[in-house]
Amino acid sequence: MKIVSILLRRPASASVLSLIGVLAFYVVIGGVDFGQLIGAASWVNYAARIGIVAIPVGLLMISGEIDISIGAMIPAGAMSTAIITGYYELPMVFGILGALALGVVIGAINGILAVRTNVPTLIITLATLVAMQGVVLAGSKLLTGSASVPLAAPEWAKFMFGQFIFGGSHQVVIIWWIIFAAVFWFVLHYSKYGNWIFAMGGDKESARNAGVPVDRMTILLFILTATSASFVGMCHAILFNSAQVSGGMNDIFNIIVSVVVGGVILTGGFGSVPGVFVGTLTFAIVNKGIDFTAIDRNWSNLIIGVMLLLAVAMNENFKKLALSSAAGRPWKSKDNSPQAAAKEPKT
Amino acid sequence: MKLIKILATTTALALTASFAVADEHDGPDIFVIGDKPDDPFWSRVKLGAEHAGLVAEMHGGSVTWLGPQNYDNLGPDAAELIRQAIDQGADAIVAPNWVPEAMDPAFEAVVAAGIPLVIFNAGGIEAADRLGALNYVGTVDYRSGYAAGEYLANDGQSNGACLNSLPGAANIEAFCSGFQDGMIESGGSGSVLQLPATAFGDSTAMAQAVRAHLLQNPDIDALFAIGDQDTNAAISGVQQAGRMGAVEVCGMNFNDSILANIQAGTQACAIDQQGYQQGYFATSILINYVQYGTTIATREILTGPGIIDENNVELVIAGVEAGAR
Repeated sequence: MKIVSILLRRPASASVLSLIGVLAFYVVIGGVDFGQLIGAASWVNYAARIGIVAIPVGLLMISGEIDISIGAMIPAGAMSTAIITGYYELPMVFGILGALALGVVIGAINGILAVRTNVPTLIITLATLVAMQGVVLAGSKLLTGSASVPLAAPEWAKFMFGQFIFGGSHQVVIIWWIIFAAVFWFVLHYSKYGNWIFAMGGDKESARNAGVPVDRMTILLFILTATSASFVGMCHAILFNSAQVSGGMNDIFNIIVSVVVGGVILTGGFGSVPGVFVGTLTFAIVNKGIDFTAIDRNWSNLIIGVMLLLAVAMNENFKKLALSSAAGRPWKSKDNSPQAAAKEPKT
Repeated sequence: MKLIKILATTTALALTASFAVADEHDGPDIFVIGDKPDDPFWSRVKLGAEHAGLVAEMHGGSVTWLGPQNYDNLGPDAAELIRQAIDQGADAIVAPNWVPEAMDPAFEAVVAAGIPLVIFNAGGIEAADRLGALNYVGTVDYRSGYAAGEYLANDGQSNGACLNSLPGAANIEAFCSGFQDGMIESGGSGSVLQLPATAFGDSTAMAQAVRAHLLQNPDIDALFAIGDQDTNAAISGVQQAGRMGAVEVCGMNFNDSILANIQAGTQACAIDQQGYQQGYFATSILINYVQYGTTIATREILTGPGIIDENNVELVIAGVEAGAR
């Protein structure tokens, strides 16, 4: 049982338990054909779409900030790709770079405002969210006269960002998601930057005094969230040969729910990339898996709400477990609590 | 840790249970992709599909409705739902072709998987031919306008105007050109009143424009509006011009107040796309095709236009109460 208690202290454990719980619920109550659900692409595609954004958002939340402008950045990335390459017929590479550059610019604006002002980042990014929705709609109407723009991507772009893999309905963004997860997993858990992020989430002032470049890291994290969102939009436009202006409000909540179910604590300082990865999978299964059940899909939001509450409750308990054990004896395991990060900075 | 044990046991039990009950029935499992089922029009389409599904259930099959959760990303979301239907083991699929660029590859995947397909609601027989679907079930905008023109001309009106509050939209242009042709070919004459795009949904602007147009053109005695809100506004414009009784109004679509107007005689007719029929026939064609291999030789099944006037308005109101109209 000792091994179980060690496992429970990991930040990912809440999300793994949520995943098991949701699957059990769907199979027992919903009568889901388990094999069919696992083989289906819809929830994996959906998980990849929100997961690519959820991981950087998770890092940002661990550092104690939040970014909701991602909701507008997904359609903004899709529309800039479609307008540049589809409407103005410039080479594909300009469309891709344009979408990513827009992400860098908006992320930098968010980040600079966050470090230069005392305004909470929820409000700053709420402002950029609404502003970008306006820019995308007005810009698209002004430049193309339409709210929906077709795009014919060349073969290589389709191959990289918009093909179906495994000979079926799985989208290539799934591979991008795994690459993103692997890179960020390394950054957060095995590099000094990861320690800095945990330290920032624990206590910003102490982190600054300990020599962590807090402002630069904050701006960088905002650039990562906005750019990953415009990356997802760009892939989507290439895959579906078109882009349309849309609110993207649902994506915001779906991504934040995934991160929280994934064991990240809203006040910062606690969380992990594997946790967010599993949290996203769990959320996607709840959201898309309901179509495989006999349950009326109108109930899916209730299930998501209950799952969110349970996950948050579990997170709090596991965090206490983790912190009490970290205080009790020197754990050799990679403890992600802020205290541990502050005590043993990697050099 | 008891929690873990309990969860592990439940999962194990659940897995065995699911493999045990994995249904082996033979009946056709039809998947219908449509819009949000809380949309008034689509709730009727869904009811039609479900009523046709009673036959599938009789054979031990099922009808499953897949709709997007919001309108943010309609074309790609629908394309994803089509692929999801393939993954869920659909025996046949019904879907609209709203955004061809985004959805055609998904339709091609359906056909490549050997799954029978019917296009409904949007896309027309051209989409069905292009994609290799069995049939198209839906309406043709031009014919909806034509039916209104024909109806008003046969009702004794001679000079009709189509109120285009969305200039440039292809379906509205089709309504108006159909209306003009319907009037002309039944012995009348037709024209189009082009309104600025800001007039759409603005009842006051529409009513004022109608009033002014009727005062300038006293020989106009028939109007065709392209939506239910515009229709109510047009009637108000006729009243303000003092031409009630002389100018007859017909409109696309209907709601409770329009049915009341038809009952009271202030509106001549309403053109109905009959969404219930779209869901019913598209699903029914596929159930019979999967179960018995029967086909419908008629290509392009038109579910509309249906005309609602004083003769059938009572029946329509009964249909509204049943959720079918």
